Amino acid sequence: MKTRFLGKLAGAAGAAALLAGLPAQAQDIKVGLLGGITGPIAAMAPPMVDAAKLAFSQVNAGGGILNGRKIETVVGDSGCNPQAGTDAATKAANIDRVIALVGPHCSGAVLAVANSVAVPAGVLLVTPSGTSPAITALADRDLVYRTVPSDDYQGRALARTVKARGIGSVAVTYLNNDYGKGLGEAFKAEFEAIGGKVAAYSGHEEGKASYRSELAQLARSGADTLVVFDYGDGTGLTMLRQALENRMFKNYIGADGMKSDAVIKALGADNLKTFFTSAPVGEAGASKQAFDKAFSAAGGRPDAIFAGNSYDAAFLVALAIEHAGGDRSKLAASLRAVSSAPGEAILPGEWAKAKQAIAQGRDIDYKGATGDHEFDKSGDVPGAYAFFGVKGSTYEALASMK
Amino acid sequence: MDLIGLANYAVFVAILMGIYALLALGLNIQWGFSGLFNAGIAGFFAIGAYTSAILTSPTVAGRVGGFDLPIVIGWVGAMAMAGLIAWPIGRVCLRFRSDYLAIATIGVAEIIRLVIRTEDWLTGGPRGIIAIPRPFGDLAYMPSQLAFLALVVVLVALAYALIERQLRAPWGRMMRAIRDNELAAAAMGKHIEARRLQAFVFGSAVMGLAGALFVHFNRSVTPEAIDPMLATFLVWIMLILGGSGNNRGAILGAVVIWGIWSLSELLTDRLPTEVAVQAKYVRVFVIGLTLQLVLRFRPEGILPEHEPGRASPPPGAAPPGAADGR
Repeated sequence: MKTRFLGKLAGAAGAAALLAGLPAQAQDIKVGLLGGITGPIAAMAPPMVDAAKLAFSQVNAGGGILNGRKIETVVGDSGCNPQAGTDAATKAANIDRVIALVGPHCSGAVLAVANSVAVPAGVLLVTPSGTSPAITALADRDLVYRTVPSDDYQGRALARTVKARGIGSVAVTYLNNDYGKGLGEAFKAEFEAIGGKVAAYSGHEEGKASYRSELAQLARSGADTLVVFDYGDGTGLTMLRQALENRMFKNYIGADGMKSDAVIKALGADNLKTFFTSAPVGEAGASKQAFDKAFSAAGGRPDAIFAGNSYDAAFLVALAIEHAGGDRSKLAASLRAVSSAPGEAILPGEWAKAKQAIAQGRDIDYKGATGDHEFDKSGDVPGAYAFFGVKGSTYEALASMK
Repeated sequence: MDLIGLANYAVFVAILMGIYALLALGLNIQWGFSGLFNAGIAGFFAIGAYTSAILTSPTVAGRVGGFDLPIVIGWVGAMAMAGLIAWPIGRVCLRFRSDYLAIATIGVAEIIRLVIRTEDWLTGGPRGIIAIPRPFGDLAYMPSQLAFLALVVVLVALAYALIERQLRAPWGRMMRAIRDNELAAAAMGKHIEARRLQAFVFGSAVMGLAGALFVHFNRSVTPEAIDPMLATFLVWIMLILGGSGNNRGAILGAVVIWGIWSLSELLTDRLPTEVAVQAKYVRVFVIGLTLQLVLRFRPEGILPEHEPGRASPPPGAAPPGAADGR
């Protein structure tokens, strides 16, 4: 019974694959683009897919890849879950024989695809938006990369910055969801590791009218600095207001969620002289402008979330393929070679320049729209974050965070 | 395009079909034979998935376990835990009539999903559990996939044989009697609630095993896998299309629906790229359309229920459950 099904199945797969094979040209280089097209991030996915496609169309327009061949994209729907993700990746890796995957978009799909398809089948995977710290710990034979920092990174960077500013003892409160808790844990671990003292550490629930009792308990710990991992247009604002009213702490520190104009509007800049936040900064330089210009011209919205990361992932994959000469086994090493300093700087869209440099054997270093993408040994990138203070009616970057 | 790639893909699809076949078999025990409308399949799938993950993954600080136990213990534990949790749920919910039971089980599945999302000390929260061992995971890609497929086929065959045996036994006849006419069965001295509870627990345990197989296949589990669309409604469609009340029908439904789900993307990919992204939604549409067509033209499913002792269903027989307005 089962074998009969299998027979039919193989037949059906064969027929479909035959259909699949017809339009593709033999010498095209295929790259899989896995996105959460259906499912919970359906609204975010199209700009991400478009941005990645933009990178490949620039490659094709700028002289093609490897002796004038073209990159052909195979778009798969990873649906933001492991079932659809592995299905799309298996098709891409086996039927379309892609050389690398850009995506999938959600962390759960990335973990499943890496474990059951990409790593065993030896396909390079670069995700533009899988932020889970679990991806760092994968046993991935150096095949899994991402162009977005892990959630862990901001919390740790903030801890180092706070310590470096001479604050030794803090009280931490976080919103009890994956954002707040992830940041809180990372901050606490790093702050304690570098000799700081977390005098109080607790979570709070969303949407209450008063947090005075929680704040009083945090203040009783004796710390003069309150770290709030929450949203500045929500519960975080309430907490900040009530703490300021009662003069419970001297310094107030938040992460990117707290960097909201609502805080300044509601509390007034005069009251916020000791309020600081960390937040990601796009490379304000030429890289970001080059991407913004190209993506706008192609009809996209450059500020769409993860669009820049997605473009960078795709462009890096193209550079790696060119550098490796199309050899799968060298792809991961090539990805590191083209992305890391030192080397001739390559900005988004500078395909012809990169191609020439690679042909002449010069070392290149891609400077992406969302960062320099210096991969560490687990394939993660450090984010570009800055430490902000309030000045006038807006936020001003005080220092970049390391 | 080559045969090895095709074979790899076929093996992958067959593994997923096998896992879904187990889910459909579990549902068949509950709905097909006992008339219990369980709309919380995802919940029991998740319990099995996480139980096995916790039992077999290596120890991690800040979370219960992992206990690094052999995979077999993880699978047995997954079935036991899914059954164990199904028991109190059944005790409370099975007193409801069918549509209320459906609502209650949706609620229960949602509770399980939220617990998994938030209880970090147990499930890793949104980050999930990784580094779960995979049987034959050390082999190269293709042999490893093939070995896993063999394992899935063996388990599906075993589950099929055991369920079939149970349903041909007096127990199966009794369950059908309860399903078709509760009052008559009660009048004959059958303890309706206890029997339904048995079917509910038994079916949930099979769903738990499917969850365990799924996480070991992916070596990881995150809350995203417990999507009601993929883990509840797709299974319902499989059972209804294949033929509820028929175990072969349940397996066939899983094969056909997952086949449509997976293969339709290959076809939509041949469309011009401008519409290929939108066309991804076509498969959701095709599944829904298939269900509509089956319900309209063959409500008893492709392979209708075949009652032992009766050569074939009488012509025009109503589908199970239709007679008394369920």
